[in-house]
Amino acid sequence: MGGSIAGVAKRAPASEVDFALIGHQESWRAAADVLAVLRGPGRTPLPDDEIQDILPWIPPRAVCHVDIVSVTGAKARGLYIDSFIPPGRLEAANVHENIARVRAAAACAINAGAKIVSLGGFSSILIEGNFDLLPNKNDLLSKNLDLHSTKFDQLPKKLDRLPEKNETVFTTGNTLTVGFIVQGIQKMCARESRNLSKSTLLVVGATGDVGSGCARCLAPAVRRVLLSARNPDRLRRLAAELQADGIQVEIATDLQRFSVEADVVICAASLPSPSLLLDRVAPHAIVCDAGYPKNLSPSAKMLGAKIFFGGLGQITGGMRFAPDFHGILNRHPFPDVVHGCLLEGMALALEGRFESFSQGRGFISRGRVEEMLAIAARHGIYLAPLYNADGPIEDETSSPDGMDLSMSAGPTMGVGRFPSCP
Amino acid sequence: MEPLIDVNCSSTECTSLSPSAPIWQDILAQAMTGELLAAMNYTSLSEICDDPAEAADALEHSQCERGHAAAFAAEGRKISVEVSNNVDARHWKRLREAFLRCITERDFIGCLIVQEIMLESFAVASYARVGRVGPGSLGQTFARIAAEEGEHVDHAMSILRAERALDPQRFDDKVYRLHLDVMTTLAQMLAKECKDGHCEVCHASCVKPSLFEVSLSAAELRGASLQQYLKTLDMLGIPGEVTLSWVAQLPV
Repeated sequence: MGGSIAGVAKRAPASEVDFALIGHQESWRAAADVLAVLRGPGRTPLPDDEIQDILPWIPPRAVCHVDIVSVTGAKARGLYIDSFIPPGRLEAANVHENIARVRAAAACAINAGAKIVSLGGFSSILIEGNFDLLPNKNDLLSKNLDLHSTKFDQLPKKLDRLPEKNETVFTTGNTLTVGFIVQGIQKMCARESRNLSKSTLLVVGATGDVGSGCARCLAPAVRRVLLSARNPDRLRRLAAELQADGIQVEIATDLQRFSVEADVVICAASLPSPSLLLDRVAPHAIVCDAGYPKNLSPSAKMLGAKIFFGGLGQITGGMRFAPDFHGILNRHPFPDVVHGCLLEGMALALEGRFESFSQGRGFISRGRVEEMLAIAARHGIYLAPLYNADGPIEDETSSPDGMDLSMSAGPTMGVGRFPSCP
Repeated sequence: MEPLIDVNCSSTECTSLSPSAPIWQDILAQAMTGELLAAMNYTSLSEICDDPAEAADALEHSQCERGHAAAFAAEGRKISVEVSNNVDARHWKRLREAFLRCITERDFIGCLIVQEIMLESFAVASYARVGRVGPGSLGQTFARIAAEEGEHVDHAMSILRAERALDPQRFDDKVYRLHLDVMTTLAQMLAKECKDGHCEVCHASCVKPSLFEVSLSAAELRGASLQQYLKTLDMLGIPGEVTLSWVAQLPV
């Protein structure tokens, strides 16, 4: 946005908001880049210490408009709303403050009239399983729980449930994230000529919504499943669910206990920073880091492992930010790549299905993932080309849905379809 | 220029034995200067009001701000420090001049935007922070005055909202013009360090590096002030993505 009055004068008139995306920056570098765009090219970028001083005080608010186009020609208008959760304050100690930020961001989306809201990154983790924490119109009107009365160090003790016919619906977006993680695993197996059906799958953060969804989708396609998470009771419940389907499952809260046995690993833990050390992983293991922030520590030594960032999709019909945050809000080596959780809201908006597709924790099934992938594909939203911290693993010209697996020894599947049990 | 309140501004001597007294002395001096400036602004505003009721309101506000200034001076005496004020200090003078430009143009709405949206946001937020950590009655006075200033903002808000409803684009352009003028000065005042020399209000060297000794920081006061400003602009209905870029472009 320009620094002149003209910058205000040129503002587009208020228009219908189909979707809103609630997110936060993954790192201080990313936050600095956002502020640099807002400051404009003529001003010196803010020093790092100033950014760390200022950012925590910014109230949640819209940062830019997002216009998307489907391959069918359908269009949808949206807003990106940043909760401005500081990258250094994702720890559990700040959970109340962060939930208040997500609530305030949700209030922004409701006040903007968004029909569907996707919760990105920690926004969905904070709300996961408890949508009562989100405000609704009645909250805003009768309890004055709007952006201005929400204090970041306080949370209302009891909130009304979202009414059935609320104008704004929320989705965690986790179903499409799971779909893209699973497709990424399959694509990587095909690239590496691995037979998924002979693999041992390890899911780190297995009892989370994304982790358990991945386990449900991939368990029937692998030889053996290892589940790791912090909560033993939840682990046992998930293991029992999978074992009931005849799947061989082992659980552990101590990741190191069996990480060496896994040759396919999904990292989907809710970590406040990239701190996971998977040093004892099988040689040549395929590792999908699906965390936001990333799970894997940069110092993790996994010689021979094939690492990729999972859960990402690409919108091929077109996406435009105003102001232009291309490459800033979506920091990926390929254009128009967005996290699956955010793409879910976009796909549903393009489809005209304004419903809470993903809610709660532990309800993501293979059928729902297939349905979500099919919706996304109808609008030209596919698995993004694979990449990792070192850059692209494949080039942009790979098949748009990333599912050209015909040369692979692994399972072949179409868009929105999963392999059957081995 | 209208007379200021009857406080002894000739001495800035600190006779308190408390090691933090010189810090409170400067904090009180900044607050008192701000209140006196606000009193002057409201008096000036009363002179351009066509409606006698509005003029009376402005004079009442002016009197209220003088009372706040007197309360800060009294808090100084309780800790044995003389609280000075200097409405001609570099930053405060520029803020006054910005307000007077609106007076010259007989721009009632512009005056409200400068005083109630910009200067009061700064006062409400920073007084509230000081109120949390200030000892005894000093803290209570800051907290009480923060609440009273908040009521002033509420009063102006309904007028400004109604004005914006008439022509949002024109209104937002006006706020942006005034933002560039006033908030740039406030941002320089609130910078973590005074890079342009002495502020002419602190009684000795700049108080900012010492604020941590009374559990405050310049960064916190700036952050809280900008947050309050953004929230106030939100309440006016100006889009959040627009005001975010305004604030991001301020000097640090």
